[in-house]
Amino acid sequence: MTMTRSTFLKAIAGSVAAGLFSVAASAVSAQEVSPELQAWLEENALGTNAMVEEDWDDIVARATEEGEVVVYSSSGRIAKLADHFQALYPGITLTLFDLGSVKTIEKTVREQDAGIFNVDVITTGNSGQVIYELLNNGRIFNYVPAHYADRIPEENRDPLLIRVNEAIVFFYNTEANPDGAPISNVWELTQEQFRGRVGIKDPMASGSSLMGLATLVQYPEEMAAAYERLTGEALVLGEGVPDAGFEFVRRLLANDVVIFKSGSKLADAAGAAGQDDAMIAMTNMTYISRNDSKGNVNAIMADLDPVSRMVYPTFMSIGANAPHPNAAKVFIAYLLGNTDLNIDTVLEKPYLEGESFDLLQGLAPYHDAGSVSPRSDVPLPAGGEIWDQMEGWNISAEFMWQQGPKLRDFWLIHSSQ
Amino acid sequence: MSDTAAPRGKPPIFSKQNLVYQVYRFKNKPEIIIGVLCLAFLSFVVLVPLIQIIKDAFTFQSYDLAYQPDGEVGAFTLFHFDRVFNQPISRALFVKPLINSLKMGFAVTLIAIVVGSSLAWLMVRTNVHFKGVFGAMLVFPYMMPSWVMALAWLSLFKNDRIGGSEGLLTYLTGVQVPDWVAYGYVPIVFTLAMHYYAYTYLLISGALATVDSELEEAGATCGLGKWKRIRIITMPLLMPALGSAVVLTFIRILGTFGTPALLGLPVRFFTFSTQIYASINARNQGDAYVLALVLIVLAISFIWINSRIIGVRKSYVTMTGKGFRKREGDLGKWRWPATIIVILFLCMTVVMPLLLLLWESLTLIPGNYSLSNLTTYFWSGQGNVQLAYGEPGVIHNKGILGALGNSVKLGFMAALFNGALGLLVGYAVVRGRGAKLARWLEGIAFAPYIFPSIALGAIYIGMFSTSIGPIPALYGTFTILVLITVIKNLPFTSRTGIAAMLQIHQSLEETARVQGIGWFRRMFRIIVPLSMSGLVAGMLLTFITAMRELSLIILLISPGNMVLTGVIFGYQEQDMAQHSSAVTLMLVLIIITISVIVRLLSRGAGVGRLNAT
Repeated sequence: MTMTRSTFLKAIAGSVAAGLFSVAASAVSAQEVSPELQAWLEENALGTNAMVEEDWDDIVARATEEGEVVVYSSSGRIAKLADHFQALYPGITLTLFDLGSVKTIEKTVREQDAGIFNVDVITTGNSGQVIYELLNNGRIFNYVPAHYADRIPEENRDPLLIRVNEAIVFFYNTEANPDGAPISNVWELTQEQFRGRVGIKDPMASGSSLMGLATLVQYPEEMAAAYERLTGEALVLGEGVPDAGFEFVRRLLANDVVIFKSGSKLADAAGAAGQDDAMIAMTNMTYISRNDSKGNVNAIMADLDPVSRMVYPTFMSIGANAPHPNAAKVFIAYLLGNTDLNIDTVLEKPYLEGESFDLLQGLAPYHDAGSVSPRSDVPLPAGGEIWDQMEGWNISAEFMWQQGPKLRDFWLIHSSQ
Repeated sequence: MSDTAAPRGKPPIFSKQNLVYQVYRFKNKPEIIIGVLCLAFLSFVVLVPLIQIIKDAFTFQSYDLAYQPDGEVGAFTLFHFDRVFNQPISRALFVKPLINSLKMGFAVTLIAIVVGSSLAWLMVRTNVHFKGVFGAMLVFPYMMPSWVMALAWLSLFKNDRIGGSEGLLTYLTGVQVPDWVAYGYVPIVFTLAMHYYAYTYLLISGALATVDSELEEAGATCGLGKWKRIRIITMPLLMPALGSAVVLTFIRILGTFGTPALLGLPVRFFTFSTQIYASINARNQGDAYVLALVLIVLAISFIWINSRIIGVRKSYVTMTGKGFRKREGDLGKWRWPATIIVILFLCMTVVMPLLLLLWESLTLIPGNYSLSNLTTYFWSGQGNVQLAYGEPGVIHNKGILGALGNSVKLGFMAALFNGALGLLVGYAVVRGRGAKLARWLEGIAFAPYIFPSIALGAIYIGMFSTSIGPIPALYGTFTILVLITVIKNLPFTSRTGIAAMLQIHQSLEETARVQGIGWFRRMFRIIVPLSMSGLVAGMLLTFITAMRELSLIILLISPGNMVLTGVIFGYQEQDMAQHSSAVTLMLVLIIITISVIVRLLSRGAGVGRLNAT
């Protein structure tokens, strides 16, 4: 039997509802763990055995005995922490595997399937897979140091502790647009005047870009309403397109959006000085720092209808049967930053030196505009204060797990026209 | 069983008489013993992953839950095949990318063969100037990562479609280059051809050096014209090498990812490899493995066609016990023009990309090419927290120097083992030509070439996590890096091994055998020296590829075994353009230096007569 494209896309839409039920099912099956793993969890007070109160000194002492912490990370910048961490906790060596987000998950899964338990701390993005494939299958476990719990809002530590929140935003060139943002509504990007003048980091290759796009698709009603506010008319969906979110993606592609391999190159393309017809870039907010390092003239559009920043998390967790569970706990606490840090702390650059480093600890390499600590008591990084002024949506892991693959298919079909 | 029960004239299978005869027969057919041993080894390291991929392609993956929430992970399914070949998405996922890849493969192969063999002919058979220098330099483009060429192309030709700073051509002339010149099919074909002609060049010059000029002179004596001599005498003798070059180039192009991604994306030119990469990147193993299987099937049929064309004819033998002469043709008044063409070619493919890398590593703000922006900080700086997260310059960087040592060690060991294995495979395949064993071996030895690297690495985690018989658990050791690199690059040396063996006449070995010389001595005194020039070329390719490899080994590497490409990956990921350019340049220069030394040494060691350069 062959299907036409429209029935295929309808099938995609139809399975949304069905998907919602399966989530509940997979969450239940996740509770089954082997007796050995159960014993390990009890011994180390992890999983359902997590304690409200911890003897932190005891944990540090045991961590020092363990002597090492093995980290699989999607980001190489953690390497900057090695010396500082080892000076603070003499006797614990930091061994870092810089793998990128996909390979971090792949290596963890493959090793555990082969009976190898090598990793202590796993830190990576890709919401859907981290929560549904790793956490729900007992491959990783959530750990929130007890003395940090009330400093971290619940959505940032449940079901899984977030290491850093980042966002996809829209950049515009301030030289080419001296009067401010060229658009006020995201749907303008699908209109004729921006034909071929919008750039996006390839969502097929970049997890963060896919999550940014998926965040818009996640809110079809809000997207449809925003369209009406812009045009005064109701949105008409293309053939076989399930909702306003997907319709936005279809129109963006039909408007010849330019696909970039690298987010930083995209930021430079939009922001290089001396252009009169610069493009608008949908890219990671953190590249705004290239205004300083590369002389770009980008600005972030902070007041878009319906949303200005699409937030995606990077998680951290302890691997199942980790060989150094206490060292893992100490390193996770270190990545959250010093408890002396509070919302009024004034931090001096450079962050990777002196007192700033001592306060920020594991946050230091990520204390850049566009990155936000999961803690509610850490000041926003200099240059990134605009974060709080922007309307933001967060990507849900559930949506990524169920709809991510369909969004990829949709993108593939409509980008290959 | 008694003798009487056996049919007359033929002893039963398990009789002493038959066993003795069989042992005797096998002893005199070392290629069968070697073939069986090679086949057993390769079956394990190649077929097991292949079966795993096939199995996974038929298995319901957790990724598929989004499509079929009721599905059971791990159950048998035809879902992936239905999706890739039958569903409406097939056009975007499979058909169009395949057509693009085939178009790309044919065009690149054609250009690479023409360019590569012309250059080989110039270097081996003519008196063009500066042959020594040129001969070595012509391999340099292959020693750079292929994306360097693509980046160079972009900085020259990019237009306002991708915005940002202007391309050099637009900057100088004010003219906007049309999209089809700047991105997509045309530049991809051009830049890839300028990279992969090296296969043809190496293989053809190796083979050409062993073709006896007397054969051509005999043709001339018979009144054949120059072109006719090339067509009916030289060309047929070069067929095995040419066939290998076509196979290696074409299939590598089907699998190549970096350049199509860089130059194709802006105009949405998607290829088969970019789709596989995208699927792997989403951990959608179903799609990825079905597409990879298509590539494997394509490659195998391509090899099959190739071996049909080359066939079992014995006419490729150029090395016999008879006299040998190599004569250089006189280019006459074309001597200097030909030299200048080669110089221009080298400027474009070697000098320009290297300068670009150097310049990039010397800029304070990347992309700003003014002289006031130059700095040596990223080479010799001591580490300043204001710049590049305080990363010290390349020459003060302990991590880089350690990784350098590991890369060189990996390259050398992989090349060495690969050479030995390739020679054995070549021997077993050529001497046992026509038999099933030989055909199987040839196919299996080639299979790793089209394996998606990252998938092979992932499967090796499971295969080598525990000890297998006498072999200890290799996961986490340096040995597994060498092993997987040898396997992945085996196609280079097995192809060159086969091509080299095809040229050696059996009579040479038989002569020794008549004198009662054992197999090992025959191997080391006759076969190895005679096949050295081809084999060195294959080992060099392995060395170069191993030094530049990352996705193959990234899942298997541990921090203590970090290699240079891993360091480059880290810098790229952290947007440290100058550091990544500096280390890339360093990597390229080291590959160049080592391969030049190897060439000089092998020439000094008497391989020179056969060596093209």
